[in-house]
Amino acid sequence: MTDYSEMEMRIVYARTLNELIERNPNVLCLEADLAKADATIPEVSGRHPGNFINCGVQEANMIGVGAGLAREGKIPFCATFSAFASRRCYDQITISVAYANNNVKIVGNSPGITQGPNGGTHMCFQDLAIMRAMPNMHVYSPADAHELRAVMFHMAEHRQPTYLQLVRLKMPPLFDENCRFDPQRAVRLAEGAAVTLVATGFMTRFARDAARELAADGIGVDLLHYPSVKPFDAQSLIDSARRTGAVVTVENQSIIGGLGSAVCEVLGEHHPVKVKRLGVPDRFGEVGDQEYLFSKHGFGPQHIAQACREMARSVK
Amino acid sequence: MVEQTLSREQLDELARQFRYVVTDAICRSGSGHLGGVMSLVEIVVSLYFQVMRLRPEEPEWPERDRLVLSKGHAGPIVYTALAYKGFFPKAWLATINANGTRLPSHMDQILTPGVEVTAGSLGQGLSCACGMALAAKLDGGKHRVFCIIGDGESNEGQIWEAALFAGHRRLDNLIAICDYNKMQIDGRTEEIVRLEPLADKWRAFGWEVFEMDGHDWDAIRTTLAAADAVAGKPAMILAHTIKGKGNRESEGLVDCHNIKVPDQCRSCGSGLPPR
Repeated sequence: MTDYSEMEMRIVYARTLNELIERNPNVLCLEADLAKADATIPEVSGRHPGNFINCGVQEANMIGVGAGLAREGKIPFCATFSAFASRRCYDQITISVAYANNNVKIVGNSPGITQGPNGGTHMCFQDLAIMRAMPNMHVYSPADAHELRAVMFHMAEHRQPTYLQLVRLKMPPLFDENCRFDPQRAVRLAEGAAVTLVATGFMTRFARDAARELAADGIGVDLLHYPSVKPFDAQSLIDSARRTGAVVTVENQSIIGGLGSAVCEVLGEHHPVKVKRLGVPDRFGEVGDQEYLFSKHGFGPQHIAQACREMARSVK
Repeated sequence: MVEQTLSREQLDELARQFRYVVTDAICRSGSGHLGGVMSLVEIVVSLYFQVMRLRPEEPEWPERDRLVLSKGHAGPIVYTALAYKGFFPKAWLATINANGTRLPSHMDQILTPGVEVTAGSLGQGLSCACGMALAAKLDGGKHRVFCIIGDGESNEGQIWEAALFAGHRRLDNLIAICDYNKMQIDGRTEEIVRLEPLADKWRAFGWEVFEMDGHDWDAIRTTLAAADAVAGKPAMILAHTIKGKGNRESEGLVDCHNIKVPDQCRSCGSGLPPR
């Protein structure tokens, strides 16, 4: 049996796309000259060349072509780097996809600091915020290979404009092949009463590590993972905040507009408690490796653990 | 190519009624995109009443020809054609741009039966038309995808992305028409940002290019037929038109893109209400 957790996430993306095409030939792979970065060259281009459409370096046109294909019943997965998949063609996605409610799947590869060596021009910290603010759009950010597959199967089966954050790297397993995805439900990865920790996508594994470290120190972390940032499972958050009284959020994004903001919106209206948002402060990216960028922006594993300790103390 | 044959007199009468109906609708709503609506009357009448295969009682009939109005602000002229074809009651036309209408100023594929693609933010419709033409190629469909773009719209970079894409993919089931009235919101196209030599540009992008008088029934019919016969590449028809044609408040006036039309001008130059 294939062990997807041993693969880079982009390989998982491309091979899962092949499976989706084999189940439904209307599934199409659209690229904008980053097919090698998405591993769809050679995975999809070699196996299903008739379903592989490389638009060249024209993201706006790729979104429009995707919308036209969707209008005709196709299910296009349009992938490029997250910066180009969101902020570069925001209006095309808004009008041709979301406003028209066309069944286009937009895939943003290498979100946030995982864009490392390409630096500030390519580092997008706003895609969750941008996409979350768009009516009709669902926004997913899976945390490992098995969840990515579950999310992709869901996307292909549901007629729904969707943005998918795709971490390109290999990710340590959090789930197994029985992973199920429900966009209406958060996933509780640890139970505790001292502090609620909310994470999504790339950051969930680090949040899990922090929760384990804190558990060893006797600090119970209630860890909620949100594979869907929109729709957002408000009830699980409210229930957890009622038990703990303190919430920490962490995301591979700007702290403005993304997961942390979603948490604050829900709690502000339904159960106000103190919230600490971890992520990139209001600034642009730069070239750097993961350790450097975590340290620079203050949302690495040690920052998560420290924020949880402080928040747990503050409500005692 | 020609599905129906109407006499010149019948076509003239349809055009006269269309001009009255859209002017009336724009009067009712106070203002509207009269210029780019009136320049398209003969082209839209020809497409819907002479050329396109449609089933008004079955708007999503898979084998229908598609029209994408990429210059979505000319929605009212397509709404008029759809109503006259029977996609929805003609009474709807009096609601154009009214509160709660199903006929907004810009095209909306969700609200309006027979509208294929939502458009209004310029440059996007041609990309969608490329996607629809590509889908037909993938599925072996024999229908055609028509797409009307504006000359001002041709300032958009996305138009030229789509031009590259369609040329590369040899989408010969795609027939684009540029409403070349030589005017855009702020002035004449050659003064705002030069388009010429426009035919050469499209040719260089791999398209077969035609030019026609966009108000001449015979020219429209023969040019659409010639464009349909092109194999191995997409076709672009540069339709030389007069912005605002048929209303003395707008004809040939550079400021007629989106104007207020006074009540007394409902039938200016376009004769009487529909008989």
